[in-house]
Amino acid sequence: MSNRVFHAVAGTISVLWLLPIAAVINTAFRSFDDIAANGLGSFPRSFTLAGFADAWTNGGAGAMWNSVLVTVPTVFLSLALSAAAAYALSRFEIPGRRTIVLLMLAGNLLPPQILLVPVSKLTELLGIYDTLIALIVVQVGFGLGFYTFVLQGFMRAMPNEVQEAATIDGAGPVQIFWRIVLPMTRPALAALAALAFTWIFNDLLWAITVLRSSSVMPVTPALLALQGQYVSNWNVIAAGSVIAAIPTVAVFLRFQRHFISGLAVGAVK
Amino acid sequence: MDRRHFLRVTAAAGAGLLVSSTASCATSASSGPVAQTAGTVSIQSNLSAPAAKAAIEALVKAFNDRKGSQASVNTVASETFRTQLPSYLTSANPPDLFTWYPGSLLKGYEEKGLLLDVSDVWQTMGDYPQAYRTLSGKVFVPTTTYWWSFFYRKSNFAKWGVTPPKTWAEFVELCKSLQGKGVIPLGMGAGSDSPWTASAWFDYFNIRVNGAPFHRELLAGKHRFDDPKVKAIFTPWREVLPYTDPNGTAIGFQEATTAMLQGRTGILLTGAFFADAAPKDALDDIDFFRFPIIDPAVPLAEEGPTDGFFASSKSPHVKELKEFLTYAATAEGQEVYIRNSSGTILPTHPKARDSGTELVKKGRRHLEEAAEITQFFNRDSSDALQPTADAALVKFLQQPDQLDTILATWQKAAEQVWSA
Repeated sequence: MSNRVFHAVAGTISVLWLLPIAAVINTAFRSFDDIAANGLGSFPRSFTLAGFADAWTNGGAGAMWNSVLVTVPTVFLSLALSAAAAYALSRFEIPGRRTIVLLMLAGNLLPPQILLVPVSKLTELLGIYDTLIALIVVQVGFGLGFYTFVLQGFMRAMPNEVQEAATIDGAGPVQIFWRIVLPMTRPALAALAALAFTWIFNDLLWAITVLRSSSVMPVTPALLALQGQYVSNWNVIAAGSVIAAIPTVAVFLRFQRHFISGLAVGAVK
Repeated sequence: MDRRHFLRVTAAAGAGLLVSSTASCATSASSGPVAQTAGTVSIQSNLSAPAAKAAIEALVKAFNDRKGSQASVNTVASETFRTQLPSYLTSANPPDLFTWYPGSLLKGYEEKGLLLDVSDVWQTMGDYPQAYRTLSGKVFVPTTTYWWSFFYRKSNFAKWGVTPPKTWAEFVELCKSLQGKGVIPLGMGAGSDSPWTASAWFDYFNIRVNGAPFHRELLAGKHRFDDPKVKAIFTPWREVLPYTDPNGTAIGFQEATTAMLQGRTGILLTGAFFADAAPKDALDDIDFFRFPIIDPAVPLAEEGPTDGFFASSKSPHVKELKEFLTYAATAEGQEVYIRNSSGTILPTHPKARDSGTELVKKGRRHLEEAAEITQFFNRDSSDALQPTADAALVKFLQQPDQLDTILATWQKAAEQVWSA
């Protein structure tokens, strides 16, 4: 009986959860005239792929590529840097390491809004304003604190014996990091990579802060640019959103499997 | 080559331009700063609606085809543009030209020395009425304008057997008769992301009851929002509130447009830009009438927001950008723009041809008949004051009996904006 109640409640919640997505997909396949005549909420009276074609040709293709150019290096760089930092902070007696970790975490508690103007001016001084490099630098900088915090927590939980055994076998700090710690951190790295990918891919704030030209805008501001001052072609925007969601969904599905298997067969027993 | 053929060719050319620009950006994306090509005028545009974007791209193309100076346009979302405009202007290497409208925001930037004096361009604009000159000052070049009014579908009015009203009494009568036919008489789209549409009602009641000079003074902070004269304009508004769409503060402007087009609401007070949100086959069926006269003693004023360009004082391309502004101010430039837009927009050049449809010709006369033109609430006041109006007016629509408190709160909020 309670099982049936559970299924009824959980089923309703899932349906509610999926409704907005269904609405977006429904809108994406309708024609603009259909939406203008019958309203956004009505049942579809048209079926067309024109919205997807429009979104793709009106800057969507370029914006997708820009997003990839930003996201992939950023995820790689920030995880590499924070894994190294976390290794040092968790496995070695660095003076004041607790303070360092807390400081990095504190940086994350600052609302990014108050840093918009300084960051924009800084990128201008560095001569990288309006380039994808600027966006990568900013994203790496802002991600670092949180990733390091998570990774050092994960690495600290590794048994000391593993490291001691490696030291007895003659491994130096770099070798231990590369051959022992990093492989053991894989589940955490995979989880963070999936998260970082979604965050950076979906970021809007930093992109519009350090970029000005539509030709370098990644996919989120490009989607926003499909909205007019007064009137928006909702079918094109919905189609664009669907296209923009594909990479994040794909990455998440891919890494989710990785994440779960990583947890199951991890060296930490 | 007839006009339709021309349209198709230019549209195809515009689309080609778009595709090639997106293709080229993919390769140049990671290659360092987007260097401004020597001598090319860069235009930062907030015209992100597809029709308007095509129009400005066509204008730039026509300018470039003259083989004089060259220009390039960079379109960003209007919302992004609005929030980032200060950082664009204060950056070391700002774009040369910006799309915008005249108003207090522009005056503020002018006082800070961020805007270029374009009086030279005005020398070439002798045909322009004085009103545009006063409005623009030395830093702005107006290129297009549009009108606000009550829009309706001719076929629906015929079906319901009603005619457009002229006086306030006739207007109330029309509302009554529409309600009797089971139609919500007055559309409203002050919910979602367009609470500012309620300000059109406020503006119109104020310019009809108190006149345009008082309206401007009020918005400039020379009168109080809890002034009895301001309070008085809510009396006729209250009279028609029962006929206003009860969902008016829940749905957005675009949905309110759909409701009017479908005949669920009778008429909608909106700007001519709403035609962009209408299906193409409905456009011929649309007509409008003036916001009814309430006090015949008050000189006729209409809302006619003006759009155009201003330039950054840091631009290294002064000669080139002035060449572009001069072209954009000519009848020829404006005709190119209008031909490629959705067509309900009006040129600012008195001799430029509009798109020639009945609707637009009537719209142009509509503005020419007015003794005074107001811009719109945020343009006549400031973008900072607009949210105070949104809060007050949406609250009034929901709880009209709270008027005194609402106006007092509004005044307090406005004082904070004015003193900031």
